[in-house]
Amino acid sequence: MLSRVAESLFWMSRYFERAENTARFLDVNFNLLLDLNKITHIENPSYWVALILVTSDKERFNTLYDEYSARTVTDYLVFNKSNPNSITSCIGLARENARSIIESISSEMWEQVNNLYHYLQNVTPQFVQNDPYGFYKEIKNASHLFQGITDNTFSHNEGWDFIQIAKYLERTDNIARLIDVKYHMLLSEAQSQPELVAGSEDIIQWMAVLKSCSALEAFRKVYLSKIDPDNILRFLILDRTFPRSINFSVCAAEDALWRISGSSRHRYVNNADRLIGKLEAELSYTAIEDIFSKGLHLYLADLEQRLVKVGEQVHLTYFAYHTPEIESSDIEEALPFTGVAGGRANWSQAQQHQQQQ
Amino acid sequence: MSRYFERYEAETSRFFDEVISKEGTPRTHYDKMLHRFGQFSIDDIKARREIVNIFFRNQGITFTVYGEEEGVERLFPFDLIPRVLPANEWQTIERGLTQRITALNAFLHDIYHGQKILKDKVIPAELILGSQHFRREFVGVNPPLGIYIHVTGSDIIRDGEGNYLVLEDNLRTPSGVSYMLQNRQAMKRAFPVLFDKYKIRPIENYPQELLRTLQEIAPASRRDPNVVVLTPGIYNSAYFEHSFLARQMGVELTEGKDLVVNNNKVYTRTTRGLEQVDVVYRRVDDAYLDPLVFRPDSKLGVAGIVNAYRKGNVTLANAIGCGVADDKVIYSFVPEIIKYYLGEDPILENVPTWLASNPSDLKYILANLDSLVVKAANESGGYGMLIGPESTIEQQENFAEMIVANPRNYIAQPTISLSRHPSFFNDTELFGCHIDLRPYVLYGKTVTIVPGGLTRVALKRGSLVVNSSQGGGSKDTWVVDE
Repeated sequence: MLSRVAESLFWMSRYFERAENTARFLDVNFNLLLDLNKITHIENPSYWVALILVTSDKERFNTLYDEYSARTVTDYLVFNKSNPNSITSCIGLARENARSIIESISSEMWEQVNNLYHYLQNVTPQFVQNDPYGFYKEIKNASHLFQGITDNTFSHNEGWDFIQIAKYLERTDNIARLIDVKYHMLLSEAQSQPELVAGSEDIIQWMAVLKSCSALEAFRKVYLSKIDPDNILRFLILDRTFPRSINFSVCAAEDALWRISGSSRHRYVNNADRLIGKLEAELSYTAIEDIFSKGLHLYLADLEQRLVKVGEQVHLTYFAYHTPEIESSDIEEALPFTGVAGGRANWSQAQQHQQQQ
Repeated sequence: MSRYFERYEAETSRFFDEVISKEGTPRTHYDKMLHRFGQFSIDDIKARREIVNIFFRNQGITFTVYGEEEGVERLFPFDLIPRVLPANEWQTIERGLTQRITALNAFLHDIYHGQKILKDKVIPAELILGSQHFRREFVGVNPPLGIYIHVTGSDIIRDGEGNYLVLEDNLRTPSGVSYMLQNRQAMKRAFPVLFDKYKIRPIENYPQELLRTLQEIAPASRRDPNVVVLTPGIYNSAYFEHSFLARQMGVELTEGKDLVVNNNKVYTRTTRGLEQVDVVYRRVDDAYLDPLVFRPDSKLGVAGIVNAYRKGNVTLANAIGCGVADDKVIYSFVPEIIKYYLGEDPILENVPTWLASNPSDLKYILANLDSLVVKAANESGGYGMLIGPESTIEQQENFAEMIVANPRNYIAQPTISLSRHPSFFNDTELFGCHIDLRPYVLYGKTVTIVPGGLTRVALKRGSLVVNSSQGGGSKDTWVVDE
């Protein structure tokens, strides 16, 4: 498979998953505020600032808006085109990547990306405000449909594995960030209203975190109704069977990487395989107490760093393949997290417009 | 007859109409179509228009309008009324094009080898050797099977009497064949009943024929040749076509950066290392193909690919340097070229052409700028043109200056009123729009032409320019057996 095609499959999948997760973040926040509106004010900025904090985007946000509110945060995370991680940007980038490999993916996959893109072109802030639940559900379902279409119309070979790696790396990162939202909320509340940290509000917040991972029902089947933070974290981080847990996602990414390279347990052939294997092994032998003793926030921050490293190694191993004839500057152009966006558009767009007979 | 066609004004005294004869009656090969359209209400037509639009949009058959904000992608204008070509007329076109392309290929081979035609003074040598598309460095290079022009698309028009004439030859990277194929798919969805009524020759095998042709021209030593398509990239206006053809043939679509040359062999960069490439169907102009040989600032090309080609390790389709034969000045010599190499009279005539480089022609051109069409010899896509009857005195004076300054670069032709075909101006009204025809010719071990081609329509009322960059659209083209 062409390295470029593999890379575009990877980013198409990754941006799609990112859009879904952003929809989940926002959806759960709205739900949470509805549950809480007897206890606290719906426009309480501490609930909205957390969403910006977990995306590590505080600076850019502050240059665009002067308050944290439902309106500004929704605008930033759903519509804003200068935010590369907004839902609109992500789907635009997923589509751009898909378009550049339209001959490699199934036409059903293309139609699904394209449909969602056109749907988003017609969505207004008013529409989202009137029916946030309906809108986020639409995004989530579109993503599920895309994955279902991919699984059923696209050969399960190397290209499919790159799609899986991207999806699960992105998902792992997002679950970690989502759990971290809760951390940020607790932190900002502890500063403003210390009396509220523990109690019914706390339980409601944790339930919201579960809901945003579509995990509440699965959780209850395991832990019945014992909704306490230890169990919830144990489930979201360490459970091996739930598809939106960190452990499950890391295992799935590892499987896909190993299928591509032919690595097996105790025998890795490249650094991407080594790093993901190490991460998986550690997760398998970690108890929730280990995480607490390190500190939840630190643990999650470290995990996110390691996921970035895996992504870098995937890039170097498969996408940046080069021979001595190719100057290294070419490789630097294609840094992770840009995909087909930005940089590439500038350098060759003018020449690509050459006359056609 | 249809309520649509009842109100249709063919203006047969001024134009050759494809559907209505001079006597005002429909031509027989259109009978069944008129009957079928007669059964449609305006709502029926709108519903079918919607089917077609959804089909095109879902397939991603849009073209990007340059210079506008991201997301501005337009549907390629498509007209619902198909063009019907009777088999006997098609046979003439097919024979004529086969003859023409065979002769042009012989001409290219000669120009890049012994140059006999220049020595025999059939064509003035300075016209060839001074052409910007003549590639001196390829004299003596032998492409496999001696073929230079593997994929071509000549533009054919009909004059006021309905004669088929060749307007120009596109021997470098003709585009539009994907529209031909997709138009047929769209029509099948929207008008299935009509397909039952006609024996329409299929065109769906074009991608297989293209692949077969490309495999036939692979370097002789290579078994099971590896074919790739080379595109300038996703921002090119014909990108959809490049990816469509790659997908239909089941080969890789590559950009310049996907290919590397090592030891005069061309390879693709893959997740498993390098894989050798034998045939490159390139949709990149000569000028951008190899920064080591042509434009050094090209980011689209592959450094070293030209040397690999000269060594015979890879075949390029089309060959380098074909532009010398589709230059509009050389066009005027094609009848002589056919006679010279094949000893035959041309089956398809040229449009009469005056060369500004010829002093007596130049005088005539300058005296008749208000009635002629003047064209720059090396432009395509409808650029660099003066349409005399539609131009202002100022534009004419401008062109006169340019022509005198550089006569080699200009030709003139009479303003031919292209034949017209009823087309939906909107969904409620039919209007006679000017059309042309671009059949696609494949040349490997044999010459193959899929029946029909792309009929382009000037959808602007009264406009003569059919190029998509200038507001043109297209319609499905049916070669029918009675």
